[in-house]
Amino acid sequence: MSDATLLIALSTVFSGLILGSVFALVAAGVTIVYGSIWLPNAANGQFFLLAGLLAWSLSTWLGLNPALAALIVLALGMPFAYLLEITLIRRFYDVPDRNVAYFVVTLGLTQVFSGLFSITYGQWSDQYNIPPIIQGIMLIGPFPIANNRILVLAISLLLLAALFILLKHHPYGRALRAVFQNREAAALRGVNVRGIYRLSFILGTLVIFSGGLLFGAAYSFDLSVSWTMAITAFAIMIVGGPGSVLGALVIGMLFGFTQAIVSTFSTPTVATFSYLGAMLLILLIKPSGLFAR
Amino acid sequence: MKPARLVLSGRAIAVLATLILGAPFLVSSNPFLGFVVGVTLIHVLWSAGMNLLYGYVGLMPLMFAGIAGVGAYGTVRLTMDYGWSFWLAMPVSALCAASIGVVLGLPSLRLKGFYFTLCSLVIQTVLTLVFIYFAQFTNGDTGISQIPPPDLEFFSPNRLVGLPFNLVIAVVALAGVLIVSLIAASPTGQRLIAVREDDLLAETLGIDVVRCKVIAFFLGSLYAAVGGSFYASYLGFISPRSFDVLLSLNIWLMVAFGGRGTILGPVIGAVILVPIPFLLQDYFMLKDVVYGLLIILVMILMPSGIYGEIERRRAGRRAAALDRTRTAARAAAGRRVMP
Repeated sequence: MSDATLLIALSTVFSGLILGSVFALVAAGVTIVYGSIWLPNAANGQFFLLAGLLAWSLSTWLGLNPALAALIVLALGMPFAYLLEITLIRRFYDVPDRNVAYFVVTLGLTQVFSGLFSITYGQWSDQYNIPPIIQGIMLIGPFPIANNRILVLAISLLLLAALFILLKHHPYGRALRAVFQNREAAALRGVNVRGIYRLSFILGTLVIFSGGLLFGAAYSFDLSVSWTMAITAFAIMIVGGPGSVLGALVIGMLFGFTQAIVSTFSTPTVATFSYLGAMLLILLIKPSGLFAR
Repeated sequence: MKPARLVLSGRAIAVLATLILGAPFLVSSNPFLGFVVGVTLIHVLWSAGMNLLYGYVGLMPLMFAGIAGVGAYGTVRLTMDYGWSFWLAMPVSALCAASIGVVLGLPSLRLKGFYFTLCSLVIQTVLTLVFIYFAQFTNGDTGISQIPPPDLEFFSPNRLVGLPFNLVIAVVALAGVLIVSLIAASPTGQRLIAVREDDLLAETLGIDVVRCKVIAFFLGSLYAAVGGSFYASYLGFISPRSFDVLLSLNIWLMVAFGGRGTILGPVIGAVILVPIPFLLQDYFMLKDVVYGLLIILVMILMPSGIYGEIERRRAGRRAAALDRTRTAARAAAGRRVMP
């Protein structure tokens, strides 16, 4: 293999890994919430963008260390999600066919946030760059990669692993999966269903936030990333099977690599088209998704 | 649902016609208000079409704006490139767009509720991307400007502008609303409602669900495309952003806010919601935020919309009055029985 091909291959692999793990994180956040509450969070792209923009503000305006800024944003994410849960999400817990109601409500949220962003951030800048958490460049063979991106990759893989272990082995994860499977039976076995709902909404939101923070730390972004991310996360959830975290991981990685490979040869829009195509196909052929539980 | 609610009374039709046809005259001295009225009337037509799909068949087609865009681009291309008359181009492209709408609505035969809504969102996104990337046809993100108003052969300016244009739009909008009310009162309308309530049950009752959905998508898309064609020639400018998912959502909001499945509800919704951004021009940027908050508030506070709420209160009052009469009668009977 010539050096040039090797370079392209390595760069594709790395951006595939980073994109894939971020996609998988966001999709896992969406799918946890959908699986438990039946809430398809159409505003996930806006949450993702909100986290990135807040971290950008904190690190560029206040000059905070980006790592500290990210932690502050995550800490703010908790009351944010809790507030949304009390004021909005809670009201529909017992509504029949609540997934349509939630979809509409979160589309409304999307509109509110996109309006707010275009009034505020849209006027301040059009590309947002969070300063790197750590400096320096590492050479892997002939391929130079920023240490910062390696750190981002490591953190996102760690977060994914932690999420997986939490859902698999922790009592909360077991309760969550019980509610996934059968709300009434779980309630009969003493699971606090509403508590689980609240926890999963907050957890899902935080996972989406961390996806936004990691993406913002690795790449520069603009306001349109929210729509692309929202569509991608939904496509991953539908193809992987709503409620399946494993599906989110596998398909998220797959889509990340698709995007990286396609972007090497053509524009990212083609990748978006291919996700939409994949989602339509799965919706029409097997609406329960590939990793249906 | 009582059938009486579906048909408009003669008085309601008279009031509606007076309001819709009278509005252009009322504001004819003020070009700005005239423009607001024209745009509102186009949205009245759109919300009538959305009502057919969302209110009566219970499907939430988020690609509604995309189909309106197909109709608009078709009409604009036919009139500007091929020199067709607007009055020929509009029906031709509307019929084409309606056929496309039927094809795009086919997933609704398999998917229900959230899954169909999501699917329609995907379709809408693809349509928006198509509008952006097939630039030789749509001029891409720049949009098409200086679209001429509809032509008029035998009248002096040869172009439909100002008050006459508003009147034509008013007539089309009124016709649109009345056609929906006719459909709603017809056996087909009853079948559509049955499909909305439970399509499996409707099928077991011998209702051809596929036919119902195809009819609904054809008519709804026709409304979308006719509205889109008028919109393009009325504003003189269209771009892919004119027909993005936000327009679908806003039209949906008008139907839900006014009252889905009622004839007057969507009209009320459009009349209240469309002028807001125009009248608050200094805060035009807040439009998305206001509409988004309204969507959320409607979902929480008024799931049946303004007109649905009025109907409910009216029914409640009627029931209460009936109750009072019954109580009084019972009391009177009691007095007679036990003196």
